[in-house]
Amino acid sequence: MKYNIVEEKNIGRFGLLVLLFLIPFLFLATGIGYAFVDGSIDNTIEGLKNIILSPTILFTDFIRVGGIGAAFINVAILGFINIYLMYVYRIKINGVLIAAFFTVIGFSFFGKNIYNILPIYMGGYLYTRYQKISFKDIIVVLMFGTALAPMISEISYSGFLPPLTGVIVAVFAGVFIGFVIVPLSSHMLKIHDGYNLYNIGFTSGIIGTVLTGLLRSFGIIVEPVSIISEKNHIVIIVLLIILFLGLMMTGIIINRRAVIDYVKIFSYKGRLITDFTHLMGYGITFLNMSILGFASLLYVIIIGGVVNGPVLAGIFTVAGFGSLGKHMKNCLPVVLGTIATALFFGYDLSDTSIIISVLFSTTLAPIAGAYGTLAGFIAGVLHMILVTNVGVIHGGINLYNNGFSGGIVASVMIPIIDAFKKEKRNAA
Amino acid sequence: MQHESKKIAMIVNELLTMLLLKGAGKIEVKINRQKHNTEIVMKQQQCDYDEMFIQNLRYNLNTQRQTEVEEYFWQLVGDDDNEDELPLVGTMVDEAVVELVDGDLYITVNRKN
Repeated sequence: MKYNIVEEKNIGRFGLLVLLFLIPFLFLATGIGYAFVDGSIDNTIEGLKNIILSPTILFTDFIRVGGIGAAFINVAILGFINIYLMYVYRIKINGVLIAAFFTVIGFSFFGKNIYNILPIYMGGYLYTRYQKISFKDIIVVLMFGTALAPMISEISYSGFLPPLTGVIVAVFAGVFIGFVIVPLSSHMLKIHDGYNLYNIGFTSGIIGTVLTGLLRSFGIIVEPVSIISEKNHIVIIVLLIILFLGLMMTGIIINRRAVIDYVKIFSYKGRLITDFTHLMGYGITFLNMSILGFASLLYVIIIGGVVNGPVLAGIFTVAGFGSLGKHMKNCLPVVLGTIATALFFGYDLSDTSIIISVLFSTTLAPIAGAYGTLAGFIAGVLHMILVTNVGVIHGGINLYNNGFSGGIVASVMIPIIDAFKKEKRNAA
Repeated sequence: MQHESKKIAMIVNELLTMLLLKGAGKIEVKINRQKHNTEIVMKQQQCDYDEMFIQNLRYNLNTQRQTEVEEYFWQLVGDDDNEDELPLVGTMVDEAVVELVDGDLYITVNRKN
């Protein structure tokens, strides 16, 4: 991969950590402020309790379950835990880590909370003890790997086991997931050759299918639910605008040529791992993340959608992967394919499940980047057809359902495209 | 570190694939494996790479060892013939030296166990 010579201010690892820290801090401050202005601190605490005690299965929107204040505080808690780990283990703030962090932030609005992520981290820790490797080596995988966190909440609180037994079984299930997610996620990359950016969604889909199958064998019904907020809140939209504007300004301050040099990012195909912080520098990376974030938000507003928990997860994930392979050029064909298919089948574009399918379809952006607009468009078509059907297989315990679908699409499409490709023979 | 032998083989695979795709005809590979370090030396005879290509190799192979990236993504190395994964190789090695001497390209990478 060709790198671009960039001259930018070096803000150092600590400076980058502070930048990331500001995101959960912003949510914490707004969450607490919202509770005070609303005059409902007790309600916020109650909301936080509801978030932690809910089964959190797809789609459980924490804004609906706990209210805005509680959802924001949940985001802040999870953000701070991960910032702390990055700080203590001195992890390099690269594109992979930024994408993982934004994904965690996004999914803290629906699905992830302090209770259901900890057993997975614990399982990961046990794996490192068993393999005699550093916990640092697997933090990124664990950050993404909390996709299966609803499994823990579902076993604990859905009532098919007595409360204490439920919690014990759930913690064991979480530890098991954390233990196996590292080797499995690495192995699954080979199936789609890195053309599905949400690889852990694919991995979690496979594990989730096995675990849900097991539960169903015992007569336990695991099915997706739909508890979502159906009202737009201005505070959320304003906060997103502040955040993406902040990213844009930071990018331009770090690299004064960021806007001029931005188009160079379009030359990258985006396959895993295309770390823009390494290839383009932090300035252009932040600008790219900001553009993708604004584009996602604008799309949701234009089609009349609601910026609720699942949609926020979509927006944050798209923006986060602006540091790891996604840009407007490779995302657009896939998104257009998804929208065209939704319209063809008569789906309501403003429906939350369709909005997030469109946003998350960008998991297949590398196909457009590597094989062109038409291939990207077809990938979007296949994604839309598949994603509306695969959620049932794992019963909604895999939060990254689109990553599961994307993995299937990529693993089918890539060998077929390669079969039609004619190799250029180089002279020896 | 798990799969150490396989990882070394995949680093060789990636570098070799990159040179072959560039049209290399004569390549020598030497692997010197010791208790705490593995050195891989690759030599391509008589090549006409420009300075930009050499700089690109140097930059991408000296990404800095990042075990957290390696642990997750190492299986992608040497996997694709559309695009190189040199920055990923860079996260798996501690030091890389790229030199063009009398028309021969030398790539030396060191990986601590």
